[in-house]
Amino acid sequence: MGETILEMKDIDKSFPGVHALDHVSLEVKRGEVHALMGENGAGKSTLMKVLTGIYKKDEGTITYKGREVEFHNTREAQDNGVVIVHQELNMVGDLTVAQNIFIGREPRKGFRIDDKKMIVDSRALFDRLHIDIDPTEKMSELTVGKQQMCEIAKAISHNAELIIFDEPSAALTEKEIEDLFTIIRDLRSQNLGIIYISHRMDEIKVITDRVTVMRDGGYVGTLVTEECTKEDIINMMVGRVIYEKPKEKSLVPADAPVVLKVEHLNAGKMVHDVSFELRKGEILGFSGLMGAGRTETARAIFGADPKQSGDIYINGEKVEINSPEDAVKHGIGYLSEDRRRFGIVVGKSITENSTMAALSEYMSGLFINKNKEKQVSEKYIKELDTKTPSTDQLVVNLSGGNQQKVVIAKWLVRNSDILIFDEPTRGIDVGAKNEIYKLMNRLAAEGKSIIMISSEMTEILRMSDRIIVMCEGRKTGEINIEEATQELIMDKATRQMEA
Amino acid sequence: MDNFKQNPLVKKVGFNRVVLCGVLILMYIFFSILVPVITGSGFAGMSHIMGALNYAYFLGFLSLGVTFVIATGGIDFSIGPVMFCCGLISGYCLMTYNMPLPLCLLISVLIGTLFGLWNGYLVAYWTVPPFIVSMASMNMAKGIASVFTKTQSVSWPRSTDANGWFRNLVKAGGVPTGLFCFLGAAVICAIILNNTKFGRYIICLGSNKEAVRLSGVDTKKWEMCAYLMCGILVGIATIFFVGTYTTVQPGYGDTYNNEAIAGCVMGGTSMAGGLASISGTVIGVLIISLLQEGILALKLTKDVQLIITGIIVIVAVYADVMARRRKN
Repeated sequence: MGETILEMKDIDKSFPGVHALDHVSLEVKRGEVHALMGENGAGKSTLMKVLTGIYKKDEGTITYKGREVEFHNTREAQDNGVVIVHQELNMVGDLTVAQNIFIGREPRKGFRIDDKKMIVDSRALFDRLHIDIDPTEKMSELTVGKQQMCEIAKAISHNAELIIFDEPSAALTEKEIEDLFTIIRDLRSQNLGIIYISHRMDEIKVITDRVTVMRDGGYVGTLVTEECTKEDIINMMVGRVIYEKPKEKSLVPADAPVVLKVEHLNAGKMVHDVSFELRKGEILGFSGLMGAGRTETARAIFGADPKQSGDIYINGEKVEINSPEDAVKHGIGYLSEDRRRFGIVVGKSITENSTMAALSEYMSGLFINKNKEKQVSEKYIKELDTKTPSTDQLVVNLSGGNQQKVVIAKWLVRNSDILIFDEPTRGIDVGAKNEIYKLMNRLAAEGKSIIMISSEMTEILRMSDRIIVMCEGRKTGEINIEEATQELIMDKATRQMEA
Repeated sequence: MDNFKQNPLVKKVGFNRVVLCGVLILMYIFFSILVPVITGSGFAGMSHIMGALNYAYFLGFLSLGVTFVIATGGIDFSIGPVMFCCGLISGYCLMTYNMPLPLCLLISVLIGTLFGLWNGYLVAYWTVPPFIVSMASMNMAKGIASVFTKTQSVSWPRSTDANGWFRNLVKAGGVPTGLFCFLGAAVICAIILNNTKFGRYIICLGSNKEAVRLSGVDTKKWEMCAYLMCGILVGIATIFFVGTYTTVQPGYGDTYNNEAIAGCVMGGTSMAGGLASISGTVIGVLIISLLQEGILALKLTKDVQLIITGIIVIVAVYADVMARRRKN
């Protein structure tokens, strides 16, 4: 480990309703892989966005290579050698690998783009990283793992001195992760500073030198990886909060009727021959890696995307669902992973959002009965404990957790019996998360049936009565909660890739 | 300023609309002073007010119509030419085929409705961008009208003619009946926009179409209905246009697009969709109409008005964009 390359001190950042970073500090040295850990919503990504200029900090100082800096955008950060390899891949599928790597700064030959130089330079980059990718191939033809490698190559091509990996392994297979680690070790030996964000405890022990832990937007501490145990890190991550214990046994009575049955569902490129049953009062967890086809399955069932084949039965009766309208009529409600895009109309009030799916029941003749609307809106604000000054509050002003409650209210107002929660706690802070969990448990106890798609293993183990695992668009496992372990689920979630 | 914004009356009417009313009054005072100085003839008084109002009626119906479309986040550049198409075809039916007047007025509304349906169908079900659809419709409207009338202009009966009674819709004796019709229509539109399922859905889908669709709403149908509503109002606008101006020439009408859209966005309806105000549109239309009357009174040409209207559209949309950016 060499000299300090980056020091972030007392960084503070607030968003309306959320204190996202509370005086957080982070120090990274040259030739070090520094892990940044914490639960979802702990503030890791926010901290990195402050560093790379996506967000403006409210307070604190950033010292990079010995002088105080404040980058105003990612471009400026890049030019100074600070690059981020995102969790989501930012590639243009229709361009070639080389074109993607040099996008926005294409080498020129007179007025024309010098494609040859681009390809030669890309090859040189890949050689340096010891990866085998053809720069002339179209980006969309590559596997997710290879695309990730290209992201890294692109990052390094900016003469990077500090590279941030934001959960790079989330979508990778074991083999790909090993390749990734080889590259990271290689970069470390070239005296670069590396920040590695991940949830996976095993990886942290293998690849990192030091660990900084964050919790609820605050700084908890920094440890040398070799000197600490997994348990130390977990304790720091969860703090005084009792760690979410897995559910021990299914709470669904043995004779609960099947409310939803899906048979041989095929939809698009991501859903192949998926069949399953959902019983009354059950929380059915859908686990799998990013891109396993879980959201696509849910959207196909809900009629949001077209399906090629497959039958859906509700309460034993075969139904035709060709649009969300049909699905809602049959009592299905879908809570998307991306609330702002698919769940709520942010510029409208809580009331308007709450009655969106059931407006017909709030009409007096031709006109909307606004009193009745307001009453039901108030009722659910109280019942779900939504924090808001009034029913007229615009949803845009609510925090993530409260926005989620508005979406839940929408489906409860519609009296939907089957609820599909897609990543129900994504982007929600830890306190509100527990509330959402309690709410889901209560709904299940009241006889609603829930499909819960989640990428968080602890969430799956804590909430589900039964777990379905998907991989590459297929169902690869069905596990009762009594037998479920993290390892078993992971095994099934990666099964097909290795075969 | 903040105190003024917090005043309960201002809050109820809406800050934006209070400012617009102020603009309207200032503009009237401005012309009342400037016109006598430059041309030597007076501006204050009923005759110019009536002139401005005559312009406001048909423009108002156009603007009300396009408010529904803009609320969905769409746009309709065909309204002016479609109005001319309605006026030409129904006028041709009246003058050349001697069809009864009520039938001709009905034909006018029907043609507007059909254009609205056509635009709406293409936008909602074929997902052709509204800009393209309405540009194409604009030219089709011009073309259809010219083909139908063999490129002749059409003159509607004068108030002294046998069929001239319909002009009472615009002005009966000295009473501006057109104003009552326009305001009545505005009230109905406001109720439709704020208190019906249709209004609720189109405003919400203008803000986030996918979220509304995933709530089980048939967004395509409602989006089409917004254009349909616009078409009906354009058809009605025609009646007030021919009731005021008598002669309709083929190949024109596009200048009214800009003015109708200017009236609408000035009033606080957002080009990005999801936000619409009928009362704002009404004041916006009155401002545009007064502007046109004032410019004519200054003996300037229509061209000056085109320039000013263009600037108004850009400023109003820019203000909306800035307001949105501040909110985020």
